[in-house]
Amino acid sequence: MRSPALAIAWELRQRHRWGLLAVAGYLLVVATIRFLIFGPSEPVLVNSARFAAVVSVPLTTTFVYLLAVFSFGFAGDLAARQSIYPARMFTLPVTNAALVGWPMLYGTAAMAVLWLAARLFAVWPSGIAIPLIWPALLAAALLAWTQALTWMPYGLPGIRLIVAVLCLAALDTVVLLAIHFKAGEPRMVAILAPQLPLAYLVARVAVARARRGDVPDWRGRSARSGEIADVRPRPRHHFSSPGRAQLWFEWRQDGRSLPALVGLLLPFELALLWLAKDAPASIFEVLFLALLTPPFMAACTAWTVSRPNPQARDSYGLPPFIATRPLTSGELIAARLTMAWWSTLAAWLLVLVATPLALEWSGAWSVVIDRVRRMHEAIGTPRAATVVLLILAAFIVATWKQLVQSLHIGLTGRAWIVKGSVLLTLTLLILLGPIVEWIIDSPSLQRALWHALPLILAALVGLKMPAAAWIATRLDRSRLLSGRALIAGAACWLVAVLGLYGVFVWFFSTPFVARYVLALIAILAVPLARVSAAPLALAWNRHR
Amino acid sequence: MSDSVISVSELTRRFGATTALASVSLSLPGGAVYGLVGANGAGKTTLIKHLLGLLRADSGSVRVFGLDPVADPVGVLSRIGYLSEENDLPGWMRVDELIRYSRAFYPAWDDGYADELRHMFALDPRAKITTLSKGQKARAGLLIALAHRPALLVLDEPSSGLDPIVRRDILGAVMRTIADEGRTVLFSSHLLEEVEQVADHVTMMHQGQLIVSAPLDAIRESHRVGERVPSLDEIFIALVGMAAAPARDR
Repeated sequence: MRSPALAIAWELRQRHRWGLLAVAGYLLVVATIRFLIFGPSEPVLVNSARFAAVVSVPLTTTFVYLLAVFSFGFAGDLAARQSIYPARMFTLPVTNAALVGWPMLYGTAAMAVLWLAARLFAVWPSGIAIPLIWPALLAAALLAWTQALTWMPYGLPGIRLIVAVLCLAALDTVVLLAIHFKAGEPRMVAILAPQLPLAYLVARVAVARARRGDVPDWRGRSARSGEIADVRPRPRHHFSSPGRAQLWFEWRQDGRSLPALVGLLLPFELALLWLAKDAPASIFEVLFLALLTPPFMAACTAWTVSRPNPQARDSYGLPPFIATRPLTSGELIAARLTMAWWSTLAAWLLVLVATPLALEWSGAWSVVIDRVRRMHEAIGTPRAATVVLLILAAFIVATWKQLVQSLHIGLTGRAWIVKGSVLLTLTLLILLGPIVEWIIDSPSLQRALWHALPLILAALVGLKMPAAAWIATRLDRSRLLSGRALIAGAACWLVAVLGLYGVFVWFFSTPFVARYVLALIAILAVPLARVSAAPLALAWNRHR
Repeated sequence: MSDSVISVSELTRRFGATTALASVSLSLPGGAVYGLVGANGAGKTTLIKHLLGLLRADSGSVRVFGLDPVADPVGVLSRIGYLSEENDLPGWMRVDELIRYSRAFYPAWDDGYADELRHMFALDPRAKITTLSKGQKARAGLLIALAHRPALLVLDEPSSGLDPIVRRDILGAVMRTIADEGRTVLFSSHLLEEVEQVADHVTMMHQGQLIVSAPLDAIRESHRVGERVPSLDEIFIALVGMAAAPARDR
């Protein structure tokens, strides 16, 4: 290996060989499904689940993965002020042009190959006119700008993410506008092609600054305003117990992410009320979107538990600082579960405060009041109030559930489990679309599924309950949880199931759904096995 | 041995094909400073992680204060002060927050001593951990390891990050103080000069095996050549050479 270009290519390939192989295999599976199951000449409609399965999901996932690979995103701290370009490479005897140019060139080539593969396997020969060049150029431009903006040193922590999101969103907007105005391929190429040299120049400046240690520091300005606050006597109360201290730690470390993300998204979503105020249906769509935001963002933030720490020797393992806290694994989990509640409540507080304000200021209140009045007339005040409260409670509990239900994966600290579960989720996402479409297209299958529903539910309960019993036995034997805690947990779960069952019976009092089916659904809906497995996962990680 | 603070018996640990610890047995009574020395990769950190319950033995047993650190982490860890080689203090915490957080876990936390250490180490309470230098981070880690006056202080390669003068003065004073109070210190290092200055007892490791574990004076005495007492460096090289010889012969 005699050239820097080959050395950089070798490092990128060697470091990500398994991931890149998985991507290749993934695209191959998609292509196989496309040709063998759907048939090569069958058209793939843009708004269909099939399109999502064979184009959107694989393309987006692979695109994001390649973005992280070629911008060195897996090794760097995106929130830090320093460039995420690996500092060890700055000491190599190569020019800035080489440090920037080669990863950018390889990334551009990878994006072009990705687009051509997707176009060839997933779309062609469906008869739909698919552009050849500009989508590949768009992917390459997005990668080049991501590289330039993430390699740039910034004056404040976190600025990198904001700048990158804004710039990439601006580029996307330009492209969307061009599509809206039906710009042809030559015009799209004319818009996108200059982006590459432009991003290259910005990236060169970024790497040159990072290489000479030129990292601006604007923290002094914010610190000066902080100093005014520091003149006041700082409260120095102590934590009443180790559990409280750990809860504070969890909150400071991860608890604020969900409310912050919801707080960032919510204004944009609620701003749509001003556009939708004349269309009642759209108002309720916006409100539904706002209600979906916390559970959706919770599912995203939940994965931060299993994010690797590139600074640590064992990047997925529990840091020794936490592992050596004189707390049981059960107490560590309890702090995390409680933090998840606080995080959920904080996020919902934002939604519950901001939504009425936005409704009032946008003038959409009257539409909502009218709908509530009609509901009150139809089913009466107590029932209407209960319905609203139950829907709200369901959303809140769903948010908490999203935050905690993958703990048993992330806390294992095993890279192969975390990566395997991501791969499994993506595979399920690919299969979900065609399966749903298959069911929708086949009334006989729908009837068969409806008849088999009790059996399917019973089978799932048959899997869940023995799994929970096995986990409880392991928790008891390993003394991770006391017998009293286990009994209290089981009692709480039972109360929740009975409560949910009562609600179901009250709501779905119909001869078409048997009571035992409602009971089975209630048993499946209340989390048990996966949450109970979290202390076992943590102990397995903590005592390797 | 009932008065042993640390008791390890036939401890074996493998990572894949590599045997990190091979039938290690060790018994360390309280009230002394123990130096755990060996080349990089000798198994020092692996042994320490077993004492803290961060690793589970493949075979053999580990007892600290007579307790199994995996089965009873609270009982063991609440009496240990630990400075990690990785020094992974959370970067987002301020020094005063780190102190406030850490004190919640230890009923014996001594606020006066913590303040004294903070002044001695010149740590700004408002400084964020992430802004501290490597040496300051090590000092902050040492502060929270010491301020609850632990019965056992475990320092894993404490020298990394401290400049030579502060390293000698602070570590020497701290270890002597703790040993004088009847507490126990176990510290690992590959800097044998440092160990020689403060340790009462030396345990040498090589390729996952103990090659010697004895009082420092006894080790020196046993390697005396006429009037000349060899340094620990020389003794270590001689012993490691002997331990490595059969492997080479094979």
